[in-house]
Amino acid sequence: MEGKHLTAGKGKLQEKGLQNKELKNKEMKKRELQKRELFLEVSRVSAGYGHRQVLQDLSLQAKPGELTGLLGPNGCGKTTLLRVLCRELPCHGEILLRDFSPGPSSRGHFPGGFSSGGFSSGEFSLKECSLRERARLISYIPQRSGIGISLSALDVVLMGFNPVLGLLERPSGEQTARAQDALCAVGMGEYADADYQKLSEGQKQLCILARTLVEDAPLLLLDEPESSLDFSHRHHVMRLLTSIVRGQTLYGQAPDSQAAYGQTPGKQVTLETSSIYAWKKTALVTLHDPQLALEYCSCLILLKEGRCIAALHPETDPVPRMEEALSEIYGSVHLQAIETAGKRHLIMIPCY
Amino acid sequence: MKRMEKNLTQQRPRTNLKEASGRDSVLCLSALLILGIACVISLLTGKYPLSLDRILAGDPLQIQVFLTLRVPRCLMGALGGFALGTAGYVFQTVFRNPLAAPDMIGVSSGASAGAAFAILFLPSLAFSITLSSFLGGLLAVGLALGLSSLAKGYGHTGSGNSSIVLAGIAVHSLAQTLLMILKLTADPERQLASIEYWIMGSLNGITLGKIPFYCIVCLIGLAGIFLLHRQILLLSVEESEARMLGVPTGKMRLAILLLATLMVSSIISVTGIISFISLLAPHIARLLTRNNRLTTLCLSGLIGSLLLTIADILARSVASSELPVSIFTSLLGAPFLLYLILSKDSCPGRKTS
Repeated sequence: MEGKHLTAGKGKLQEKGLQNKELKNKEMKKRELQKRELFLEVSRVSAGYGHRQVLQDLSLQAKPGELTGLLGPNGCGKTTLLRVLCRELPCHGEILLRDFSPGPSSRGHFPGGFSSGGFSSGEFSLKECSLRERARLISYIPQRSGIGISLSALDVVLMGFNPVLGLLERPSGEQTARAQDALCAVGMGEYADADYQKLSEGQKQLCILARTLVEDAPLLLLDEPESSLDFSHRHHVMRLLTSIVRGQTLYGQAPDSQAAYGQTPGKQVTLETSSIYAWKKTALVTLHDPQLALEYCSCLILLKEGRCIAALHPETDPVPRMEEALSEIYGSVHLQAIETAGKRHLIMIPCY
Repeated sequence: MKRMEKNLTQQRPRTNLKEASGRDSVLCLSALLILGIACVISLLTGKYPLSLDRILAGDPLQIQVFLTLRVPRCLMGALGGFALGTAGYVFQTVFRNPLAAPDMIGVSSGASAGAAFAILFLPSLAFSITLSSFLGGLLAVGLALGLSSLAKGYGHTGSGNSSIVLAGIAVHSLAQTLLMILKLTADPERQLASIEYWIMGSLNGITLGKIPFYCIVCLIGLAGIFLLHRQILLLSVEESEARMLGVPTGKMRLAILLLATLMVSSIISVTGIISFISLLAPHIARLLTRNNRLTTLCLSGLIGSLLLTIADILARSVASSELPVSIFTSLLGAPFLLYLILSKDSCPGRKTS
């Protein structure tokens, strides 16, 4: 669909003036970028409320295909940073999105630095984007969605199409089918017609994840998506998130709906057949639970007093180093690695 | 293979969805049918007895009464009620508040003050009361919305809504004060009585000449609201989340509220204050459909029409003199709403968290 738009746009271009052409080019590049993998780079950002400065010269990076966790004590500026990225809060500094369009050889794994071959020249500032472009680029997932009226779960998911729909346009049949697919993919297919207000918190969050799927934005911002969920939902949501971010397979199972489905647990619904979900996404997620962050995030950014004090890679970094960094924000902690089924899991215990 | 599995899981929910929308359309059609019957009764009720045979036979007096009195009145009941019902739905959805109504941002008090002004100072002009109250209502709303957009930094998220409500309350009390001053200066024998009677509201004052005015305004408003229905639902989402979904919340809210109040203002200016319809109709519609689809918006309108038409029939026929229509809208609507609340186990899904 997007491709058609582009070629139609190109046909018109030849007839119009040079200035117009440049404008159109820019517009087209941005449109194209939604289908790209974007590298988020925040450099020297400062922001605050009134005279209170919350973020001070904060710099960080997030790669596509990775879940980047933001950890820090209360009031360290996690939510403020997300608000800045959503452009809900003005800031000083630069927020850049780099188009990471890997060549065929480098696809699948990312070289450490972004100077190496994989990058095209596409780079633009998030600050310059209009509200609508921003909506297409960013999918925001709040702690709990502020939907205040009775809506069916399907209608909630369909809201995700708003950035690509015209003002008066209604979602097409194909889009409705896609929304239905997304609900099935998060294991909520059964509840398409259920009242969103009456779902449990976990189901609501899954529903919002389905909306994220249909939004298909390259950048995901999540504000403590796990905070109101129980143990099994937490892990289910985080697993789903990881697979969404990697543009991979999804497990079509909510922990408590297995019986309702009558399916064996662990059966997968593959979404790779529909090309829309196949892009890797960049995700920035604030988490309260360091345990969860250590388990699921490929990269952890530790914030303290509005500054980034360390970036950890739980999968590869040596345990003592992480222990030291985590102690700095949470007070003295002990970190232990245990190994199950060949994977390293980290457990954090406070030292009294 | 995997495709097939997916299709299997999808089939059931889709049929559910169809059932639900089928139920909705049955509800809408039956409301339309009852409205049709009510309109026929409305056309035939009144002080001057009309009969179908004699109109068809071509009795000139009968035809004239039918065309200049009954048709405008019936149209006003149906269209006015529809507009009030949908406006109520819009307000309750946009403000995420089950008690929200167009009155909240000062339409009715502005219109009352405007009408009182015209009754006192411009009694001789033809449409002075209608025009003045229409302008009064719009002025009040414009003032409220303008004030709220000035108060940008107020509060945290969701500041848009709360500042509109606050500005609305301020404008409402301002207009009430103005109305009180106007009442004080009024001649208690004639002018004060007609102000009070205007405020009570009735479909009595409708003439053929006023039809095009409110019809056009209402149809524009309704068209806008039905076209923007998706955006209205998006506005019910929390402010920052809605913006991240690409909704220019500030402008959109302003546009939608203006459309809704334009309609309400045009109706109030013709009929005087009609209470409760915009509050009750959407609740009844939601209790019946239990969702917020387009059909619910439609049904809010239809129930508004029904309430106003039936209330108007009763207002004309219960006593020997005409009674204010608001008495009957609340007498009809409140028990029905209570019945729905008590008969269903749950509220319309408006759980306040």
